[in-house]
Amino acid sequence: MEEAKCSRVKVESILSVVSGKPTEPGKVHKLSMLDRAMGSHTIHIVFYYASNPFLDGPMPSDLGNLRITLSELLDEYPYVTGRLTCEPDNGEWLIKFNDAGVRMLQATVDATIDEWLGSADGVEERDLTAWEEMPNDPSFWSPFRVQINKFKCGGLALGLSCTHMHTDLTSATMLFKAWSEVHRRQPPTHPPIFDLPPPPTPTPPPPTPSPLPTTPTKMATATLKFSPAAVDKCLSQAPADATPFDALAALFWRRVAAQAPTKRSLSICVDSRDPSQHAPAVPYAYFGNALKFSTLTDDLLSGGLGQVAGHIHRHVAGMKKEEFSSEINATGGMYGGAALTCFNAEHMAEAESGRGIMYDAEFKKGERPVHVSYSVGNVGREGLIMVMPAAEGGRGRTVTATLPEEQVAELCRDQVILDFEPTMILCGRRS
Amino acid sequence: MSDILLKYMKLGYQYLVNHVLAFLLIPTAIAVAVEILRSSPARWNSFAIDPIHILFTSFLAVFIATVYFMSKPRSIYLVDYACYKPPVTCRVPFSTFMEHSRLILKDNPKSVDFQMRILERSGLGEETCLPPAIHYIPPTPTMDAARGEAETVIFSSIDSLMKSTGLKPKQIDILIVNCSLFSPTPSLSAMIVNKYKLRSNIKSYNLSGMGCSAGLISIDLARDLLQIHPNSNALVISTEIITPNYYKGSERAMLLPNCLFRMGGAAILLSNKRRDRSLAKYKLVHVVRTHKGADDKAYKCVYEQEDPQGKVGINLSKDLMVIAGEALKSNITTIGPLVLPASEQLLFLFTLIGRKIFNPKWKPYIPDFKQAFEHFCIHAGGRAVIDELQKNLQLSAEHVEASRMTLHRFGNTSSSSLWYELGYIEAKGRMKKGDRVWQIAFGSGFKCNSAVWKCNRTIKTTSDGPWQDCIHTYPVHIPEIVKI
Repeated sequence: MEEAKCSRVKVESILSVVSGKPTEPGKVHKLSMLDRAMGSHTIHIVFYYASNPFLDGPMPSDLGNLRITLSELLDEYPYVTGRLTCEPDNGEWLIKFNDAGVRMLQATVDATIDEWLGSADGVEERDLTAWEEMPNDPSFWSPFRVQINKFKCGGLALGLSCTHMHTDLTSATMLFKAWSEVHRRQPPTHPPIFDLPPPPTPTPPPPTPSPLPTTPTKMATATLKFSPAAVDKCLSQAPADATPFDALAALFWRRVAAQAPTKRSLSICVDSRDPSQHAPAVPYAYFGNALKFSTLTDDLLSGGLGQVAGHIHRHVAGMKKEEFSSEINATGGMYGGAALTCFNAEHMAEAESGRGIMYDAEFKKGERPVHVSYSVGNVGREGLIMVMPAAEGGRGRTVTATLPEEQVAELCRDQVILDFEPTMILCGRRS
Repeated sequence: MSDILLKYMKLGYQYLVNHVLAFLLIPTAIAVAVEILRSSPARWNSFAIDPIHILFTSFLAVFIATVYFMSKPRSIYLVDYACYKPPVTCRVPFSTFMEHSRLILKDNPKSVDFQMRILERSGLGEETCLPPAIHYIPPTPTMDAARGEAETVIFSSIDSLMKSTGLKPKQIDILIVNCSLFSPTPSLSAMIVNKYKLRSNIKSYNLSGMGCSAGLISIDLARDLLQIHPNSNALVISTEIITPNYYKGSERAMLLPNCLFRMGGAAILLSNKRRDRSLAKYKLVHVVRTHKGADDKAYKCVYEQEDPQGKVGINLSKDLMVIAGEALKSNITTIGPLVLPASEQLLFLFTLIGRKIFNPKWKPYIPDFKQAFEHFCIHAGGRAVIDELQKNLQLSAEHVEASRMTLHRFGNTSSSSLWYELGYIEAKGRMKKGDRVWQIAFGSGFKCNSAVWKCNRTIKTTSDGPWQDCIHTYPVHIPEIVKI
């Protein structure tokens, strides 16, 4: 039982980074209903690099070099440098493009990267993307924060944190990738699109669910890396056309349901930007929330791994063909609020290599991130399982599970999962 | 009809008075020539031309010419100048400034509102820059950061100047640096000597504490030194280092400089060498300095002091504009006779006599300085200063455009703002040979200093300089109040 220990991350300074060119004054962007529904969550992504790519450059300090390219990037993202405001007459949330910039934090970590990945847990990792809750008046609060964390070994972790109201995991990753492209003086692969035609009228929100328990549950996070061979082993039990997501989601659902029999349904979250589709609903470069949620009920979830994987596969295919209307919980808590949520990130795997696009964020040519951590804040007590593509490509996957503390502990000891020999990182100090 | 008549009468009067010598001498010369031609050759022989007379006359002529040339002050030329362009990463948009202000002064909402009101009406734009140390929440104005800013600003300006003039470090004879609020040991001039390995017999001077008008004080000093030292050049650096002077308190009168002062600097090369004459951009005609410090109110109107919480800042008194007006009047009274054409001076004299003798209620005549100068560079101290001078000197919007646009793009860069303004006029292609420029600066003390330059050669617009990437977007309309 570990007491609250002093964090090994120490924030040294805070400043603001603005775009190089002034934003055109007066523009605003209205947030959609999906944006507002996602508003209770926050996104935290950490990119770990073996060496500090900002030490080379025209400025004497790494922060100086970082600011040059970040400013250049922000020229294209007035959305990111703007500020939230609430319209007084109708309570609508808007982003005012007022050119205020993003918050930048500098921190040092009292460990090497390897030590950190072996011993830190989700709570400590959150310090790499130190977050400030939105105040009542958000007009001078920065919704995007970039944190540069320096390790003892000279390695670097770049943290990006933002509200889920502004963006989802995919476009936050694309933002970071665009920054790495600007830094390497490459033309952008996906120049951002901010405005979409209005989506079809969503389903009216479901009747108010029973009030959530008042005692907040202590959540924990574990990251398990499954090698391509392990995923293949899992897939061998599933139907032929199942994707790694289907198989792993089924595996984790069954193990979590085995420990917590009260779980009755599974919510699948799919991104509308799927590039493999002939005419995707949302262009890949769209910057904002483009998620669809749909729930599978108990009857589809009983049975063996193969059967559940098959059901999940069919459900995902159906969601892509718009057979199920997207659910929006207007009271928020989309992830893990009403049911265990599984996030499908198959669209973030490159078509040929299978490697995650996040691993293409190279600030120095040839130096890919050692690891990319994804984490979501304020996940509901039902939990969230994210199946992300891996660094090595192929069918390898990195699964990040955010669940109540005891369930995470059980999951990491679960024999069925351990049979697939996952590498566990960022699970805290475990033997 | 009567307007046109009046206009032509005025023009006729000016032409007559300004060329009165020509009007007197030409008829006289013609009359003499006619008389000589009419008289017979016989009369010519009656003029006994003695060789002794001729010798003495020629000696006298040579003597007078020698005395004249020896006592004439050396001509001082401005070879070229370079202004510092801050990097875009140092940009401070209004919204960022106000956000930081609210976060740092969270216990003083009234002070935050005050800063917002100042910024809205300031005439600054969204591209003015503050040094990196001030971007932190809270700002971290260490000695190191201040030196860093000084090095960046000064060395960049000198590098640009050396590139455009081909000046070598060992050729610099005189070095003058003026930076009012940052005065480390060793001095900034020593910092430059060290970086560029200047000669050991260099004459270096470091002026500190002299306020925003110190730029012209440095030019005046350089001019005096170049009178004594023949065949020399002088490098003048005018800048203000913002890092150590960020006011950390909440007194309203002391928060104003935080809102208006921005990063900037200029390097100017002056010379009295013959060979620089053809290449030089400007010739220095006059420098007029007026010091109102003898008056207590003027002395205290820009005053550095501690606030009730012990935080140091610069207190600007409410009488600032009135005192500035008085200082300007003093300066004009001295510079007027030196630059105004005879027609204006006569009119002023007549009105003065008229007011004293006939009727004190006559309106005092404000000489039309537009006849003396083609271009005006008014220190971009703030919108109020420019408005006041525009009104007092009856200048058009185009005359003060350089000042307003410099305030918008670069903010109040203190002593170097005059050089940014000159750069604006050149970048717009408006500077022609023979054009006269009037630079006016105000500063703590209270001082009003003026410099008059004459353009030596028509200046072509170049592809470098601080305005090169944005000059095509100027002039911009600056609204009375910008909504943040």
